[in-house]
Amino acid sequence: MNTRRLLSTALSIFIVAALLALFFGFRRHAPTFHAPQLSVSTRNLPYYAFCSFYRMLAAYAVALVFSVAYGMSAARGPMWERWMIPAIDIAQSVPVIGFFPAAIYFFVAFAHGRLGVELAAIFLIFTSQAWNLALGVFESMRTIPGDSRDALEAFGAGGWLRFKRLSLPACVSKLVYNSILSWVAGWYFLIACEIITAGPARYRLPGLGSYLMEAADRGRAAELVAGLGALLVIIVAMDVVVWQPLTVWAEKFRYEFASGAAEPIRSLGMMEALGAIGPDFYHVIHIALRPIIGVARALVEAIPPLGLHRREQLLRFGRGIGFATIAALWALFLYALLRGLVALVSALRTPWPAEARLIPAATVASTIRMVLAYGISLGWTLPCALAASDNPRFSRRLAPIAEIVGSMPATALFPIIVVFVIRVTGGMNLASILLILTGMQWYLLFNLLAGAKQIPEDLKEAARAYRLTRIATWRKLTLPALVPSIVTGSITAWGGGWNALILSEYFVYRSKTYKVLGLGALLDVATYETGNSLMTLLSLLSMVVVVIGLNRLIWRRMYNVATDRYRLD
Amino acid sequence: MALLELKKVSKSYPHSKGNLRVLEEMSFSVERGEFIAIVGPSGCGKSTLLRIISGIVPPTSGQVLYNGQQVDGINPECAMVFQSFALLPWLSVKANIELGLEARGVAPAERERLATLYIDKVGLDGFEEAYPRELSGGMKQRVGLARALAVEPAVLLMDEPFSALDALTAIGLREELLDIWQAPDSPVETIMMVTHVIEEAVELADRILVLTPGPGRLAGDLKVDLARPRDRRTEPFNNLTDKVFSMIEERA
Repeated sequence: MNTRRLLSTALSIFIVAALLALFFGFRRHAPTFHAPQLSVSTRNLPYYAFCSFYRMLAAYAVALVFSVAYGMSAARGPMWERWMIPAIDIAQSVPVIGFFPAAIYFFVAFAHGRLGVELAAIFLIFTSQAWNLALGVFESMRTIPGDSRDALEAFGAGGWLRFKRLSLPACVSKLVYNSILSWVAGWYFLIACEIITAGPARYRLPGLGSYLMEAADRGRAAELVAGLGALLVIIVAMDVVVWQPLTVWAEKFRYEFASGAAEPIRSLGMMEALGAIGPDFYHVIHIALRPIIGVARALVEAIPPLGLHRREQLLRFGRGIGFATIAALWALFLYALLRGLVALVSALRTPWPAEARLIPAATVASTIRMVLAYGISLGWTLPCALAASDNPRFSRRLAPIAEIVGSMPATALFPIIVVFVIRVTGGMNLASILLILTGMQWYLLFNLLAGAKQIPEDLKEAARAYRLTRIATWRKLTLPALVPSIVTGSITAWGGGWNALILSEYFVYRSKTYKVLGLGALLDVATYETGNSLMTLLSLLSMVVVVIGLNRLIWRRMYNVATDRYRLD
Repeated sequence: MALLELKKVSKSYPHSKGNLRVLEEMSFSVERGEFIAIVGPSGCGKSTLLRIISGIVPPTSGQVLYNGQQVDGINPECAMVFQSFALLPWLSVKANIELGLEARGVAPAERERLATLYIDKVGLDGFEEAYPRELSGGMKQRVGLARALAVEPAVLLMDEPFSALDALTAIGLREELLDIWQAPDSPVETIMMVTHVIEEAVELADRILVLTPGPGRLAGDLKVDLARPRDRRTEPFNNLTDKVFSMIEERA
């Protein structure tokens, strides 16, 4: 075990602990906000759908700007990368509930009433979208060929031109693909983000997420189905009108030799008919916007180009401001860290609740559930990938179905699943494993299918020419070639699984509470029932420790091995 | 006064085990109107040398003088053509060619005029709106060449421009390059080309600088006095090729 890795892992955990403790400490000051009673009538459904949609959109817009700024900054040099990428890693391992206190402290306490809660919800959705976008930008920047950079530099291109012509276009392909994933994640956590709870404070916003929760809680099946239907309509509409045309457009921006694993599975099989409407729709919008774009362009080009000298001055000024901001942020961060440390120590000194004794056992139980869910996921996705690599028609049929089903937030179906399984088996254990499954399997499937698609045709032809049997081909070619995808898919699947865990081990339906022994359940109980901030903090920290630990010690190693030995070059 | 002069230019890169010396005290000068070929095996720092001359990479020690003045940063009188073409896949041929002009703040109308002029000169008329992925290797390099010519540089720097092309295409492009250079209205008077193909150097250049690796040193400076167009099958040609080859071998 590498001491440096151990130290950096410990440091990450410590930073998270301190920051979390800091926010939990401030929770006491959060005002209560009395949400209006939520009506479950379907008449309000369009309004709720609109609310949720605009929240997702706002969060996405912020996430987009953030990820471009953050990813490009991290790519500027090894000095930047060294702390910015681990920071994102850490942020990724904090489940969305962990951000509740931060959301409440910053937004609700500062902007009173409905606006504050809206901003808090948008912030929470942002946290489920932003990190993988930022990583996508970073990876795109790093794979820009050196010669392209040299060419632009040799012609004396300034910062803005480099950004406009080189950096930003290079990110488009990964950004589009990761945006699709981000929206999927956003929908998944919508329910959690529209009902923000922290101890005594309970905030609920009108929206699809809270509607579904309320309908499930009151056992109103028809309204629940209507809500799911509305969600499905929005997701399919977005897919047809936005994502499909964008993916086609993004093809233009791919470097030919860079065939990264982030290739979206866009097939025109079943979705062909609907997909055909998409580009036309987009075309119409484009024509409608053309005069506006023309005016904007005329305005921008009317600005006289700055002389070289003035440009230099502006650049230096901008850089100075940049440095000042970063220095200020560092100072703020260190200050927060110190105060967090103080809060952490004082929090740990308060008497530990009785439930804390359950944490070790709960951790083991949750991990076992994760392993089981992972095994089941792998058990059905791997054969799918093998079948897809042998039979391209199969993958063309499978891909659109998988996309639609995969982007439906299973969290909306949780009530149905839970009640059904409990009636059959009588316990929550199986139900929770199934629920975790829904958060894991799609990541695995998409990565595996993308990996199967990338196996070079000439290797497959060689296998056929040498008369390899199907099993032999799988053993010698397909499975080894899939190893990098299995690893990346597993890493993302486990990340999604941990997040799903929180929603899977504890459930309230028709005033009955269903739960199992597990870390997620402890966290939920502490957050939603007892409101004990120390317990919340402890269970959150335990989860973060396990996640970061697994990431650094297992997944990182496997990723290096996979990309080293099993890379198709 | 020489157009370009290098005085004891050295370049080192920090390495895990200390410094990696890539170029060692390169000193030579280039006159206006010369076609210089820089040959050497891989690892002798030829590409680094070219990038130092263009200004993208600063030398660790030594000076680069252009028209007697020390060059600090990018030299605007130089334009570079790359082995891998270095075209942006999301820009059309015309937009790629205009890129160098855009970087220098040239107005759109003027950019358009120059781009059209040089698209014509490299023989890509009609391909203005095509995208790089639709072009063959030879056509892509023509775009790279047009992009460099469009900024009307005095010195053209070429980093193994024809290595990534098949032999037949390369033959055609070599001839075109000479035509463009020797044309009376050509803005380019001086060319510095890096290559690892000795025959190419002897065919095109007035002077051949021979580099040897570990670290990169100037092993020899050969004048090529043959009249153009040069025939590869003649004795003087082959003698020169042999001489360059032996220069590389004996210092290796």
